[in-house]
Amino acid sequence: MLDLLQAILDGVMFGATYALIGIGFTLVFGVMHKINMAYAAASVGGAYCGLLVLVAFKGAPAWAVFLGAFAAGGVLGYLVYLACFHFIPLANPLATLMSTVGMLLLIDEIVVHTTDGMPQNYPAMFDDVMLRAGELSIRGDLLLIFGVGVACMAVLLALLYRTRLGLATRAVSQQPVAAQLCGIRVAQVNAATFVITGLLGGLAGALIGASVGALSPLLTVPLTVKGLIVTVIGGLGSIPGAIVAGLLVGGFENLFQQFRGVTERDLYVMLLLFAFLVFRPGGIFASGAGRD
Amino acid sequence: MLELERASRHFGGVRAVDGLSLSVGEGEIVGLIGPNGSGKSTTVNLVTGLFPLTSGRILFRGADLAGVAVHRRLGFGIARTFQNIRLFGHLTVWQNLWVAQNAPEDRARRGFFARWLGGSAGVRREISELLEFAGLAARQDELAANLAFGEQRRLEVARALATRPKLLLLDEPAAGMNAEEVGQLRERILKLRVRGVTILLVEHVMELVMGVADRIVVLNFGQKIAEGTPAAIQADPVVRKAYLGGEAAG
Amino acid sequence: MDFYYGLAQIIGVHTLLGLSAYIVLLTGQVSLAQAGFFAIGAYAAGMLTVLFGWPIVPALAVGAILGAIVACAVGFPALRVRGLMLVIATLAFGEGVRLFFFNFDYQIARGDIKVGPLGGEGFRQIRYFPENGWTTFEVMLFIWAIVAIVMAVLWWFDRSRYGAVLRAVGEDEVAAQSVGINLTAVKVSAMTIGGAVAGVGGGLYAHYTTHIEHTSFNILVATFAIAYPIVGGLASVFGTLAAVVFVQGFLVEGLRFLGDWRNLLFGALIVLAMNLRPDGLVDARVLGRLARVFRGVRRA
Repeated sequence: MLDLLQAILDGVMFGATYALIGIGFTLVFGVMHKINMAYAAASVGGAYCGLLVLVAFKGAPAWAVFLGAFAAGGVLGYLVYLACFHFIPLANPLATLMSTVGMLLLIDEIVVHTTDGMPQNYPAMFDDVMLRAGELSIRGDLLLIFGVGVACMAVLLALLYRTRLGLATRAVSQQPVAAQLCGIRVAQVNAATFVITGLLGGLAGALIGASVGALSPLLTVPLTVKGLIVTVIGGLGSIPGAIVAGLLVGGFENLFQQFRGVTERDLYVMLLLFAFLVFRPGGIFASGAGRD
Repeated sequence: MLELERASRHFGGVRAVDGLSLSVGEGEIVGLIGPNGSGKSTTVNLVTGLFPLTSGRILFRGADLAGVAVHRRLGFGIARTFQNIRLFGHLTVWQNLWVAQNAPEDRARRGFFARWLGGSAGVRREISELLEFAGLAARQDELAANLAFGEQRRLEVARALATRPKLLLLDEPAAGMNAEEVGQLRERILKLRVRGVTILLVEHVMELVMGVADRIVVLNFGQKIAEGTPAAIQADPVVRKAYLGGEAAG
Repeated sequence: MDFYYGLAQIIGVHTLLGLSAYIVLLTGQVSLAQAGFFAIGAYAAGMLTVLFGWPIVPALAVGAILGAIVACAVGFPALRVRGLMLVIATLAFGEGVRLFFFNFDYQIARGDIKVGPLGGEGFRQIRYFPENGWTTFEVMLFIWAIVAIVMAVLWWFDRSRYGAVLRAVGEDEVAAQSVGINLTAVKVSAMTIGGAVAGVGGGLYAHYTTHIEHTSFNILVATFAIAYPIVGGLASVFGTLAAVVFVQGFLVEGLRFLGDWRNLLFGALIVLAMNLRPDGLVDARVLGRLARVFRGVRRA
């Protein structure tokens, strides 16, 4: 029983990274009604770029690497926006979808080439710290991940609901044409959305690398799938949904792993997704069977 | 032919259609008018099944339409046109009519193979006839999206006719037309009646409705506020008030 | 010369993969599940020839039928999710199929060796063609005969009423319903046909590569499947063929001298293609010009 609780606890805390990735997908969907398939790849790419900090300043502390990943994520986010959304007419959803897939492949390959496909070690913080809460133990690095994740979500929500940019973003997501007529520069808002989600993503990628101990290009596709699962379970366009769903998926994933091992774990996460698709396609917070 | 019994459609707090009872007899042309937001289009959507009823019943030739899927209502003989034209833009004029030949009589007459994979002389004849009626014979290979506005409207009607309806719901067919086009539309609607189609005409353009309807029903805020012949409606102060808000002369 | 036959084989099989996504795409459903049906056809046909000694054509037929059945089963719940949610759902399904085969063992002893799929190791020794004396050239002809038949059938569907109905549904579901089109029947039937085509493609794939494993049916393959009709344009089956030839022929092989970097170029070229020609390589205008060249008019 204790093992189960421990597994769930660890999973939920790690799930904060899934929540961040999920937020990235869902925010872009909410604002532009498009899926950015390259998001997880850009996040992993950002994390890799964080390692450049170590290349430049040997022995730099872990948080510097995280910061580098954070910044690189934002840059990559903007690049994805330019390549996939700025020029392609928005009325052509297939074309934008395909181009984001192209970016996914491109980023993945660049990473593989520059690292020769070898996993890269990733610095962690507090990985030697172990707190205790009664019978359960809490890994320090997971707690950091959880804490940073929560802080990011709070900042993001504040941004969306208490700033002019956030207001403009919400306006564009509801009525892009009307927003334009009110003088809101839709292109800028969209670009800003990508930069912000990119920043989040880069940080999420760094945190994942930190907790796993290493980064590998093999992370990209499973992370994309998981991020999409979180987005769907949380409800497309719902940030609170993505947050809850991320923690949920993290917890369940670890639970399944505890029961059935690593190879079958992903299959069960998939079944969880299908269950939601069948019974609650609108996501956790939807009222019954919602539709896209 | 068509009976609405206290039909209601509520969207949360908004009562788009509220306890509406109206009937359309076979062979009639009934006009449905009312200010913007009075529930005219919602009524059409309720009859065709795009929106489910919140309460009340809709009967077509005595049969309750509750639970009947949109595409099945065709089998009953109900067809409609759309206020903002919904043609299949990437299909040709001919194809727009072709895909609409789904009436039970068509289904029964031809085998599966012929209907889906082949073509047949009978089908071609019928489509040609519809094209003649709509004045679009010369444009049959043109993509629907490339047609002029008036041509698109005519194609919408022709497409609805391809389903061999007994009741045709026209949703603001005169929107955006000039006086001459309205006159032509009036002629076409009368010709439809000659073909044996009963018509429920939802419209804003008064010259058309007054000139073609046998009977007019007036809606406001989802409820029926008046019903009668065009002359009676024009003289009705309640109707004037709804449209013009307050006493108005002439 | 064998090199070119091999390339032609790849193009042929990928065309089938692309066509399976094409027909589903016509109805407006973006399906990343085709790689899953492809995998089912591959494993099924492979197991029938290797484990049970079936001849190739019936084995392929069973692969197609199984692909169709599973696709039909997927088609119904797929109706409940629209647009981008469908993309995600089918992606997850495809991944689910891959994970299934990752965990799938079914081996039979043949003499003193075991044959059959073995989880992560995959399914080796699918040697029907070599064991029966087929040359590379003959295999290529066989593949292309099937591709030609499938393309002819789909092209015929496209010009028929069914094709127009598929596109009507893809264009405007509300209008389609209102003229009496049964959306469920149309969308599920398209998915089923796509599953059958993918199943045949998978069966052929298993036999010419002789070794399949779960990574052969990953998201990249699902992406290729959908990329071909999108990049090629939805106006006609030839668009998909053009895209396959472009991608596989020009890109992957013609840029072989770039070595490892050609995968990188693939991604970049997709991005470029979508920016420059968002409606695909063979869009309606190109098709119109081609049609006038061949003096055919779009009429039934």
